Amino acid sequence: MSAATPAPGHPPVPLSARVIGAFEGRFHSVPVIIVLAAIWLFFSTRSDAYLSSQNITNLVLQIVTTAILALGVVFVLLVGEIDLSSAVLSGVCATVVANAAVSSGWSLWLALAAGIALGMTAMLVQSLIVVFGVPSLIVTLGGMVVFQGLLLVVLPPEFTVSVGGTDYAKIASSHLPTGASFVLAVLVWAGYAVSRWRQVSSRKDRVWAAASTLVVGAAVLGGVTVLTRADGLPLPVLILGALLVVAAYVTTRTRYGVHLYAVGGDRDAAQRAGIPVYRMVVYSFLVLGACAAIAGVIDAARLLSVSNSSGGGSLMLNAIAAAVVGGTSLFGGRGSVWSALLGALVIGSINNGVQLLGYSPEVQNFATGGVLVVAVAMDVVITRGSLWPKRA
Amino acid sequence: MSDSPPILSLRSVSKYFGGVRALHEVDLDLHAGEVVALVGDNGAGKSTLVKTIAGVERPDTGTIRIDGRDVRLDSARAATVAGIHTVYQDLSLCDNLDAVKNLFLGQERTTSWWRGRSLRRRDMEQQANAVLDTMSIRLRSFTAPVGSMSGGQRQGIAICRALVSDPRLVMLDEPTAALGISQRAEVLDLIMRLKEQERGVLVISHDLKDVQQVADRVVVLRLGSKVAELRRGEYVSADLVSAITGAHEGAA
Repeated sequence: MSAATPAPGHPPVPLSARVIGAFEGRFHSVPVIIVLAAIWLFFSTRSDAYLSSQNITNLVLQIVTTAILALGVVFVLLVGEIDLSSAVLSGVCATVVANAAVSSGWSLWLALAAGIALGMTAMLVQSLIVVFGVPSLIVTLGGMVVFQGLLLVVLPPEFTVSVGGTDYAKIASSHLPTGASFVLAVLVWAGYAVSRWRQVSSRKDRVWAAASTLVVGAAVLGGVTVLTRADGLPLPVLILGALLVVAAYVTTRTRYGVHLYAVGGDRDAAQRAGIPVYRMVVYSFLVLGACAAIAGVIDAARLLSVSNSSGGGSLMLNAIAAAVVGGTSLFGGRGSVWSALLGALVIGSINNGVQLLGYSPEVQNFATGGVLVVAVAMDVVITRGSLWPKRA
Repeated sequence: MSDSPPILSLRSVSKYFGGVRALHEVDLDLHAGEVVALVGDNGAGKSTLVKTIAGVERPDTGTIRIDGRDVRLDSARAATVAGIHTVYQDLSLCDNLDAVKNLFLGQERTTSWWRGRSLRRRDMEQQANAVLDTMSIRLRSFTAPVGSMSGGQRQGIAICRALVSDPRLVMLDEPTAALGISQRAEVLDLIMRLKEQERGVLVISHDLKDVQQVADRVVVLRLGSKVAELRRGEYVSADLVSAITGAHEGAA
């Protein structure tokens, strides 16, 4: 932090700076929602099938893995660290769960608990090395390679475990009945409304609370309406939703959440305020470890197998890109858990549309890469608080 | 004023870093409603003394008493519990958090554990309002990040943060160093208000004009030792300068 720059309060603030300032606060999700709307508009004019409830359900199921992993990545980004190892770790955890539940015949719950414990333990070790002083970029880069080796160790000699037809696969194919889904949606909405109104302090804030309650209600009920069109709410979507709700509550309404943002914003200041900085870093990595295990299991259940390519491919980069595209800063301390969902939706919508319209795969790469760079450029502008760089 | 025991009382506090003597047998008393300035050249031991009182450094010898009782200040938290709050030169605010979160950072008001330890935002806003009012600080918004505020407002928030825990003693490290003229006047005003609230104030400053304006007593450190203690009205600027630089020694 540089010393306080005395900014005279009275001269009029230029409009561009005010707009940028607004995006830092209440409207931080607006840019990504505009991008998402533009993508949907573009593809829906090309194909009527794109915005059908069938395709939207498909799209959401496609992004669940990325979004859950991105959610964990958001926690690590918020404290100003980075992670490259969680995607491969998710493959390792999924394999361990598959070995235990399918090959060794453990109960599925026990196997899941073991997988999550493994994910958290692996992240605990990495985070302790980060706290020791090695940059997280290097620790997790090394961790990624180590976990690739570990994946080969835990896989059987034929390098694949099929989970088709088992309880394991039901994780991806189960549904919550439509009626129950709506009851749940209303409960979530009511819970949000109560918690939001308890925070209201001024009359102006009451207007904002009413507006956000309506928006959240429309989003939750609309989403459930579309996603239950076939035969109820898919379990993976339910898990993603539950994780997001819990994470949103914890990061915005609890002491832990304030400390998380404080550590990412200014570590020295947080330390002097008596916040256990290193413990907060470790906690974030533990959250990521749990998210990685859950994401890996859901992915394996959807694909009906684990193999030496589990957690590979573009999953890691997509998860980081999703968090950043959604508005979480790479520099720490800024962003929200919803950026995981919104960013994953942006990236998933591009991939889904490109595949639906039969464009060649390089279009997908160009578009995803372009969106990522534009998103980080916007992050830079918002962090800096002005459109153009200061003259050197 | 001197009937009651002083809020803070240091007796022959010494601190060594290896072979370097950072503090040597320093005595210091501070009473309620009194502003004491700590001055000295670079390397005189001001920062070390502040850190010792703030619980960041532990003295090698000597005693620290608060309200007449011996205390051990082993950590920043211990000092806070003892009623000492430090406002650092860089303010130590989190620029990404809003004013209320900064005011209560590390001492958030939360519900009981069975209600999930969630934040009591409304309580905190009310208390923030009260504290900011006592110091006559006006903020445009409680939800805007403090990074977007002016230097004077940030300094005000940093000082008010000290008041949230209702401390007996507030230490200010170079509170006016980075500020413009009108903001400096504001901060000196804040110091006078702290004094009116019967708190002890210890100000570390390089600016002798500020010091003469607000301090009831000036303690001069040189090379780790206390070389002079001057009461308001009993000295002129030249005395202060010669005590800081050691110019009077030749004459004496």
